[in-house]
This record gives sequence, structure tokens and C-alpha cells, in this order.
Amino acid sequence: MSGLRQFFGQPRSLVGAGFLLILLVASLCAPLITPYDPNSLEFGPFMPLSAQHWLGTTALGQDIFAQFIYGARLTLLVGAVAGLIATLLSVTFGLAAAYLGGRVDEAINTLINVFLVLPGLPLVIVASAFLRGGGVWPVILVISFTGWAFGARVLRAQALALRERDFVQAAVVAGEGPGRIIFREMLPNMAGLIAANFFGAALYAVLSEAALSFIGVGDVSLVTWGTMLYWAQAKGALLQGAWWWVALPGLGIALLGTSFALLNFAIDEISNPKLGRSNVKLPARKKPAPGAGVGNPDALLSIRDLNVGYLTPGPTVRAVRDVSLDVQPGELLGLAGESGCGKSTLAFAVTRLLDPPGAVLGGSVRLAEHDLLNLSPEELRRVRWKEFSMVFQASMNVLNPVLKIREQVYDAMQAHGVTDKQKLDARARELFDLVGIQASYLDAYPHQLSGGMKQRVVIAIALALEPKLIVMDEPTTALDVVVQRQILQEINDVRRRLGISIIFITHDLSLLVEMSDRVAIMYAGEVVELAPAHQLYAHPAHPYTQQLMNSFPPMTGPRTRRSGIPGKPPSLSAEIVGCPFFERCNKRMPGVCDVKPLQTFPVAEEQTAACFLYDPTVSPALKENAIRDSQHVQMEVSRESAHSANLN
Amino acid sequence: MSQPTAPISTNASTPTNTIPNTLEIVNLRKVFGTRGKAGGVVAVNDVSFAIARGEVLGLVGESGSGKSTIARLIARLYTPTSGEIRLNGQPVPSRLGGRALRHLRKNVQMIFQDPYASLNPVHPVSYTLKRPLQIHGLARGDTEEQVNSLLERVGLSPASTYASKRPFELSGGQRQRVGIARALAVRPELILADEPTSALDVSIRLDVMNLMLDLKDQEGLSMLFITHDLAGARYMSDRVAVLYAGTLVEIGPAVEVIDRPQHPYTQLLKSAAPKPDAGLVPETIEARGEVPDLKTLPPGCPFEPRCPHALPECKAGLPRMYDVGEGHTARCILHDPAVQARRGQEVGVSR
Amino acid sequence: MSYLLRKLGIFVFTLWVAATLNFVLPRLVPGDPVSVMLAKYQGRLDPAAVDALKIAYGLNDLGSPVSQYFSYLGNLLRGDFGRSISLFPTPVIDVVRMALPYTLGLIGVTTIISFVLGSALGLYSGWRRGGVVADGLTPVALFLNAMPYFWFGLILLYVFAFQLKWFPLSGALDPFPGDTYSAGWWSSLLRHAALPVFTILVTSVGGWLITMRNNVINVAGEDYLAFARAKGLTERRIISRYVLRNALLPSFTAFGMALGFVVGGSILTEIVFSYPGLGFYLYQSVTNLDYPLMQAIFFFIALAVLLANLLVDFVNVLLDPRIREGQA
Repeated sequence: MSGLRQFFGQPRSLVGAGFLLILLVASLCAPLITPYDPNSLEFGPFMPLSAQHWLGTTALGQDIFAQFIYGARLTLLVGAVAGLIATLLSVTFGLAAAYLGGRVDEAINTLINVFLVLPGLPLVIVASAFLRGGGVWPVILVISFTGWAFGARVLRAQALALRERDFVQAAVVAGEGPGRIIFREMLPNMAGLIAANFFGAALYAVLSEAALSFIGVGDVSLVTWGTMLYWAQAKGALLQGAWWWVALPGLGIALLGTSFALLNFAIDEISNPKLGRSNVKLPARKKPAPGAGVGNPDALLSIRDLNVGYLTPGPTVRAVRDVSLDVQPGELLGLAGESGCGKSTLAFAVTRLLDPPGAVLGGSVRLAEHDLLNLSPEELRRVRWKEFSMVFQASMNVLNPVLKIREQVYDAMQAHGVTDKQKLDARARELFDLVGIQASYLDAYPHQLSGGMKQRVVIAIALALEPKLIVMDEPTTALDVVVQRQILQEINDVRRRLGISIIFITHDLSLLVEMSDRVAIMYAGEVVELAPAHQLYAHPAHPYTQQLMNSFPPMTGPRTRRSGIPGKPPSLSAEIVGCPFFERCNKRMPGVCDVKPLQTFPVAEEQTAACFLYDPTVSPALKENAIRDSQHVQMEVSRESAHSANLN
Repeated sequence: MSQPTAPISTNASTPTNTIPNTLEIVNLRKVFGTRGKAGGVVAVNDVSFAIARGEVLGLVGESGSGKSTIARLIARLYTPTSGEIRLNGQPVPSRLGGRALRHLRKNVQMIFQDPYASLNPVHPVSYTLKRPLQIHGLARGDTEEQVNSLLERVGLSPASTYASKRPFELSGGQRQRVGIARALAVRPELILADEPTSALDVSIRLDVMNLMLDLKDQEGLSMLFITHDLAGARYMSDRVAVLYAGTLVEIGPAVEVIDRPQHPYTQLLKSAAPKPDAGLVPETIEARGEVPDLKTLPPGCPFEPRCPHALPECKAGLPRMYDVGEGHTARCILHDPAVQARRGQEVGVSR
Repeated sequence: MSYLLRKLGIFVFTLWVAATLNFVLPRLVPGDPVSVMLAKYQGRLDPAAVDALKIAYGLNDLGSPVSQYFSYLGNLLRGDFGRSISLFPTPVIDVVRMALPYTLGLIGVTTIISFVLGSALGLYSGWRRGGVVADGLTPVALFLNAMPYFWFGLILLYVFAFQLKWFPLSGALDPFPGDTYSAGWWSSLLRHAALPVFTILVTSVGGWLITMRNNVINVAGEDYLAFARAKGLTERRIISRYVLRNALLPSFTAFGMALGFVVGGSILTEIVFSYPGLGFYLYQSVTNLDYPLMQAIFFFIALAVLLANLLVDFVNVLLDPRIREGQA
């Protein structure tokens, strides 16, 4: 499993596991390490450190080093067994609550809450006081029964989420019984959390045992690190200057606890990738080519030869490859492509919002007079929102849940020098009116708004400083069609009224064709076709565009069978020779498309395509052959559909 | 809420009347989160429809319309609050267990929306496909061969290489094919497909839809095809049912309903769909606002607050389903002869 | 405010559980608790103390366990916890009244300081992730967090009080500190509190640091943070209004939940420093088999932790609009 490999690839987990292993081996091989019996009283009291007694002797004449090594046994046992029992309880209660739901869940949840807030250690002390003298097991049991609640809470939450996951539902529909659902479908997916929880519980157990032993509840006739501390304290070790008698067992506990915590932490990071996002060291980037003055001087935004990648431990994923695009003032440029084609990466790179491991590998971006890729952080901050703003895909989550909408509208303006309260209020009202929301919602919190309204708020914020350009990354994808349409109409109205340029990114080509001035089609990190929207719709040039257009079932006309595009896009971490669409293309020319370096060719006025069908140096016969083959295939498809799909 | 039971339209696509409908649901209702108290969320509000053998019924609606809930009620992932579900004419008992539940599980299968969530990441493909066979006693001798033939049937070949893969090694389209294979494994009579293509890229959607159509033809399956996409419903379905706020508002032959929608909500949905061929000018939608809160539904037509054609009597009570064409009904008072007579020549809903 | 009502319900319920545990635990010991205790004291006990013990366990009325239970609960509500055995005939409640201010002062104040300090360090460590100092804080925090409180206290005591003699060895005040609240009194109080405070701070700060760091990292990945950056907000504002406000919410919840554990651990530091708070008397009662005192102290520690939790819930309501509307 990749999780395990990840686990052992971390220094943290290695240190934790290593220390634990050494301790385990040492304690098991104790007789080989020390010749002394930890309980034998044969030596003089408080003997100093010497070659015979590395750590001297106790007040009763026991060898401290022997006690330390043998004491590890019980300490480890308490940690492991109490951790195990507590984890078992956590898993049982967590799963039972989540799986059974309803009143059982309510009851267990209340129980968990009660045990969470009951102060554990005093309870353990009181309980052990009544049960004392019975060896190590009562202690283990008491610790387990007070230490399970924290894990149960976490595991219940995860099990509840798993219970609603489609694969569990699918197993129910398949007819699986409760046993299989719990043990084969849910439990394996909780393994990481359970392991992390075990180490957390073991840490709690070791510390609790030490505390109990130290104050003399529990069984002080046993040798554990905790009881060593008890005797050291009881016999005044420190007053006698035998500080090592105290220092050693405590240090042992601290290190054992640290290794448990390290393991817990490491597993946590793997199960929650956000925490562990490895900090790939970015290579010192060559200073990007100065972007001032590049590209078409009339254009508002000029992207030239932009290369963007994600740095991984393996090969770099080249998500955007040599992209050059211009956006004219007031233009709505549509950017279409399927998931993983690099359209969002392009947007984030251009707006300089790309987080590591993403990185601009080369190229330049000019917006008006600003060389975007070479701005200092403070220059960038000033330019942001004033010159260009952005509307994100997940509008549901872009508003800060704990701040009022008003504050979030204001702060964009305040950050750029508008501080007058009256002006802010007037502008906010104006903006809300523009996007069709009542001004009273300014004083609402985000969760009080529907998805459509949140997206309108975000668009209002994007318009706040009347930027020259707004980059919209799938702004309506998560919304229902009707709301989507209303918002698109508003976007269209506003941009015509204010003359704002928009880059509109979506996977929905039909939508894009309807509302864009020009459309760029991206495939595998490249812009493969660029054309005015009506031209693209009427005469798509690139076979990918053609096939993509054909992939939408029509809303009108006779129902005929259509086919999608077989295959899948190439891996972006590999070097692509020739056309990236070659494998899936129905008009491919072997020997040309998979050999020649990809180039962009003019097709018609304002229309370009990265396709060798438009390469004047390729022989016309080859092209005709390729086109004829594709039509042949198409006829077969339609003949087949004649008797299968066309029911009406 | 008393309302005349809508006649179950077993329409022309049923070859003869001797074969019972694969699925009939009558006044199906689901109220969430009440625990006996009043004021729950009415997710499904007395919905009735039928699916004939070999028929695909497209169930169209926006999020929160109750379309997924209906599928989960039929699959018994939820228990209905009231109403009846019949399989092949036999009522499914409201308390299910043992043999009856097993019978249901064998005959009703589901395809889920998100192929990334519907396959357990810890199991290889072969496990996912083997289990249904084993549960329902269909595993014969070499299950490996059965698994391979399933994989071949959904277009994953060579099957042996896919059988040992885990979900993270597959693309979205491949995962969804595995999901389809899992549903087919037990040779069910009814497949509930809950937005099976909306999480997929456009270029592979059609192929998955085509696969489902082919398999349906080969196996004589009936299918409930849930979608928010009118064009997809038109492509896939024989008949289409439109849901709004848990209520069935229109049902009829797919091309009829989508080409000539008779309920103002269906008309709204249609006008909102992208139309690259409609002259490239965004069309203005009349209806404003958003779907009402299901906790506080108006007593009358749920669409009344947004409806551009609303009349005072729309608030009075939930309209019945009116016949508006052959096997085509719509829950709109504008089709009431009395209303039409009174409104005279003014406005017709059906343009 | 159904959220707060629910929390109040859990508060009352948990307090009842704590009280009931107090009632049940002694009865789990084989035989009747009083005779077991008497056997342990081997006749060293005042006859009046024997009666007090019987009253404390509701054994005097010889009723059924149920009626004993109710008379026990009744006593509890009246604040009657019986009389201490080791300090006989002092009523238990008087011992608690004497010890409680020290514990609240030491552990209450220190825990809050520790939470604030740990959260601040966690904010730094999470926000500046990738830096040497920020990343180096984590293993240090894990180690500090895994140290037994009392052990670290012992070491401090040895070095700073025993060897260097900078601080007193034990107690909360000098024998004759001068008038209460006078300058000399304060200086005596603070000198006695210094080592225990430092012990609790050092050993508990790591936990808050890790919690806050994780929360900050989670918030840093949220879309609203990218949006805030895209808006061109200053880093100051992003940290104060976006990162901190959101990362603090789960931290507060964690604070409430960890409180029981932290307070339990802190109590042991009182033992090491012979600091006359509840923890010290808990230890005394355990070694002297003073069960009534032990149980009362457990009850009051539980009460304090529960009250603190209730306070955390109130603060959460103030900080999170979603909880305010019962949506969390």
C-alpha cells in the first residue's frame, strides 16, 4: 500500500518506530543486557554510578539500570494493552453509533461526551484507590475505560461519513449483511485513524500509569518506570543527590510517549493529506522573461509561452504547455476543456494564486502595463482585485463562514484604499443591486445564503473595484441549471455595461459557445483551437473540438445514436511527442501527427488550430485519407444506431 | 393532503398488457427528520409512476427535487414514509427482511453518481464484482471467469488486467463501467441509475450512456435514469418524468415532454439549458427566485411562487395531473378545462 | 438557543454521572466499604469518625441501596459531603473551600496562559510551515507533551529549589507572609507559584501548539483563504480575520475536551510542590484512605472542568454564527 510506503518514508515515523523497537527488544532481552535482578536487594543503598552499577543503586540496594530495563516491560505492556483495549472500545462504540444510527447513536454520543469531559486522571485515581493492590490489570482496565472516549468521538465521525459513502450504499444494495458492511467495507477504510488512535491511547495510558504509580495507587511492588519514580520520591532520591534515579525513568516515559506521539502524528498526516502536504523544494526559478510589452499591444492580457507544472517527487507534471493567449478589452474569452486539461491551472498561474507544488516553469503574463509574473508580493497585492479579480469554482466555500457578508465585501475595497464607511456602504448596496440580491443580505452570514446567492455575492465582490479583467473558473458548475442561467445572464449584462474583460473557464462547451466572444479549447495542457464562438460552433477545425461538439446529446431533432471520444488523455508527466490527441483522434495521420513537433496553424480569419490537417507542408492526399476514414467510421455508427437507439 | 390518485400511465411502450410493469410506485412519500414530530422535510411528496419492462424512464429535476431519494426508496436504502412500491405487480412489503429483502436486492440494482465514491478503495475490482454473485448464490465454479465476462461486457478488456486493479488505478470512465458491471452482475430486472454520467467528462459520457442502452437492450432491463440534464434524458429515455420540490409535475414520452413541455417548470428547465444553436444569444428566463424550502412548502402548487403564469387558485391546493397528450400528463391548473374556458383566448400555456 | 440548552443538559447529566460514580465505586469493593476501611485503619479510628463514615456512605439508615442513593444525592445538593477522616472532624466541604482557590489560581490561570501561548506558537508554526523554526517546533512540542508533569516538576524542584535555592521547596506561602494582599504577601505567593506554573506551562503548551498548528494548516487549504489572498488583503488582516477566527473554533472545542486531561495532569504538580490545592489534598486523601475527601475532591474537579466546558460552549456560540443558528 502506498500509505505504508509514505509512512516509512518520513523521518518522524522512522524515529518513532525505531525507538519503540529498540525499547521492545531491550526489555525482552533484559537478562542479556544486565546481569542483575531488578528486585534483588543485595547491594548497598545509594551506590554511586560505577562500572558494576552503571546507574548506581536504589535506597533499597537494587540496581537502577536493571530496574530501568525490566521496568520497560510492564510500562510497554500497560501502554500496549490499555491502548489496545481503549482503541477496541473506541472502534466498537464509534462503529455501533454510526452503523445503528438513530437512538443508539444519540445514546452513545451522549456517553462519549460525558466521558470526554469527566476529568480522567482524578477518576482513575479515585477508582484505583478502591481497586488497589491487584497487580497491573486493574490499572490497565481503569485506564482503558477512562481513555476510550476521545478516540470514539473521532472514529464515530469518520464512520458516520463512511456510512453515507456511495460504496457502502452500493454494498447494501448488493445485499451485503451488517457484518460484511462493517468489517469489509467500513473498517478497512478506518485503518489509518484506528492506528493513530491506538498510539494516542497508548501515550495516555503510559502517562496515566506513571501518574498513578507515582502517587502510590496501583501496585507499587511491581517494577515499572512509574513505580521507580514513586520509590525514588518516597526514599528521597533527590535529597540524597541520586538525581539519576528520578531522571532516567521520567526521560524513558517522555521518550516512549514522544515515539507514540510521533507515530500518531505521522499516521494522522497520511490520513489527512492537507497536514502532510510535503514541502517539495522549489527549484530556484529562473527569473521569468520580462513580460512588459510582450504580445499584442492592443490586448489587455497577453500570455506568452506559459509553462506551468506540478513538482512531484517523480517527474514534473506539465499541466500547461507553451500556452499563448490574448484577451482584448471588453472581451469574454471562453476557455474549455475536460478535467485535467490544465484550464484551472492556467487560471491560477495567471492570477498568481498557484500554491506549491504548482510552479510557473516559464513564459510571461502581461496585464495592461503590469508584468504579472515579476511583481513583488506587495506590488502584487496592490494590483490584485483592482486590476483583475477572480471568481472561484467552489463558491460555496470561498466566503469566510464566520464573518458577515458585509465585512467580506468591504475588506476587498478597504485593502485598496476605500475606507469611508458611507462610501463602502453605498458601493456595497450598488453591487448587490447589480447582481440581483437584496441589500439586507449584507448583514447575513454565508451559511444563511443559498448556493446561487453565494455565487452572486462572490461576483459582486469581484466587481467591487471595477477591475479590467475577471477570471471566472467554473463559476456556475455547482449550481442548478435555472440558477446557472440567471447568473450567466447577470454576468453578461454587467460585463457589457462596464466593459470588463472576462476569462470564462468551464467544461461545458455548449454553454461557452453560447456566451463567449472567442473560445479557446484546451487539451492536455495545450490550446488546440482558438476561434470566435460562432465560427467554432459552425466550423470546428480541430478533430477534438469536432468530436467534443458531437458528444453533447442534442435537445432537438431526431434521436440518433452518437458516440463519445474513446480513450483518455495522455499522462501529463510524460513527454508528449507530436499531437497529444493522436491516440483518440478519428482523423489522425500516422507518421505525421505522432512524429512532428506540435505547431499551431491558421485555419480561417481569427481561427487557429494545433492540428496537422492545417499544416500546408503535409500532403493533401494524406489529409483526405484521414478525413475519409473518419467519415467511414461515422457512417457505421449511424447505421448501427438506426436499429438500436432510434426507438421513436 | 388528499389528492386524486393519478392513473398510472402504462403507456404505448408496453408491448402487451399481459406483462406486468417492472416497477410501479403509488403515492410514494418520504418525510425526513421528524421522529414523530411535525415539520419534517417532505423530500418525496406522493409520487406515482410506472416503468414497463424494457423501458427507460428518465427522472429529471434539480438538486433537492427528490429524484435521488426516490431511487433510494426503491432500492430500500431508505424506508418510505407511506405509499406503495410494486415489482412485477407484487407489492414490496413495508417491513422487509429475509427472503423478501434478498429478492428485492437481486432484482433491483443501482448505479451511483460519483464513480470515485462508489467503489471501495481497499478492494480490487474482482472483489467488487464477485460479492454480488456470492451473496445471491450465482457464483458457479470459477467466479473469475464470471467476473471476466462481466468486465468484457462493459467494455473493459482485456478483463484479466482490470480484475486485479484497485479503483485508484482506474480513470473515472473505467470506474463507472465497473459500477455498471456490479449492477449487472446479479442479472437484475430494474436498474436505478442515479446521475451515472454527470461526474464524468463530456467526451466519455456518451459512451457510458451508449453502453447502458446496449446492455438494456441485450438484457431486457428496465431502467430509472436520473439526471438534471434534459438533453441526456432525451437521449436515454423512452419516457420522462419531471420532479419539482418532491412533487411529480409532468410525465410523458421523452420527446413529447422535452420538445413540447406542458408544465411551466419544465418549460423553465428547458429554457435554461444551454443552446449553442439557438442563435448564440442568451435567452431571458422569466421565473426568478429559487427552489422553496422543503420544510415550508406552500399548500398549493410548489412552483406557484416562481411561476410566470400563476393564478390565485394555484395557491388553493396541489393541482391534479391533467392529460395533455397521449400518455402525457402535467400537474398544472392551466390545463383545467374550467380555467381554460374562463381565461378564454388570453394565454395558453402550450405554445 | 437549543444548542446551549443541549450543552446545559449534558452538563447536568455529566455531573450526575460523576456523582453516581462516586456513589457506586466504593460499593464495588467486596464487602461493605466501612468495614473494609475500618480493617485498614485497624482500630486507630475515633468512634465518632466511624459514625461519620457510616453517615457518609448512607449506611446508618440501613435502607436499600436505592434509598441510600437518594439520601446521598440529597446530601450532595445541600453541599454536605460528610467529614474528613484524616482531618477529623473537619467537614470535607471546609477542606475543599480552603484548597479550591489555590487550584483555581494555579491551574486555572496557567491553563489559560498555556492555551493562549500554545495557540500563538501553533499559529506561527502552521502559517510559516516549511521554515526551520516553524517545523522544528513540532517534535519539541510532541516531546514536551509526552513528559510526565510531575517528573518535570521534580527535576525543576531539584535544580532550582534544592540546588540553586532560587525558589522555595514547598507550599503556597511563607509561614508569615505578612498581611493578605500586601506586597510581601504577593511576592511570597508568586515565588511559591513560579515553579509549578512553569511546570504546567512547559508540559501543556505543546498540546495546544499541535492542535492549533493542525487547524491552521487545515484552514490554509480552504478556498476562502485563497479568495482572501486573491482580494489583495494584507497578511495581517488575513491572519487575524480569516486564519485565526476559523482555526480558533476547533481549537476551543479541543480545549474543552482536553481540559479534563490537562487538569488531571496539572493536579499532580501540586503534589510535587506540596502546593495546598485540590490535587495535593487528593493525594493526601488517597494515602490516608480518606474516602469522603477523595470523592468530594473528584466531584469538585469534575464540576470545575464541566463549568469550564460550558464556558467554552458559550464562547463558541459567540464566535461561530453557524452554531448560533443550530447548524453546526
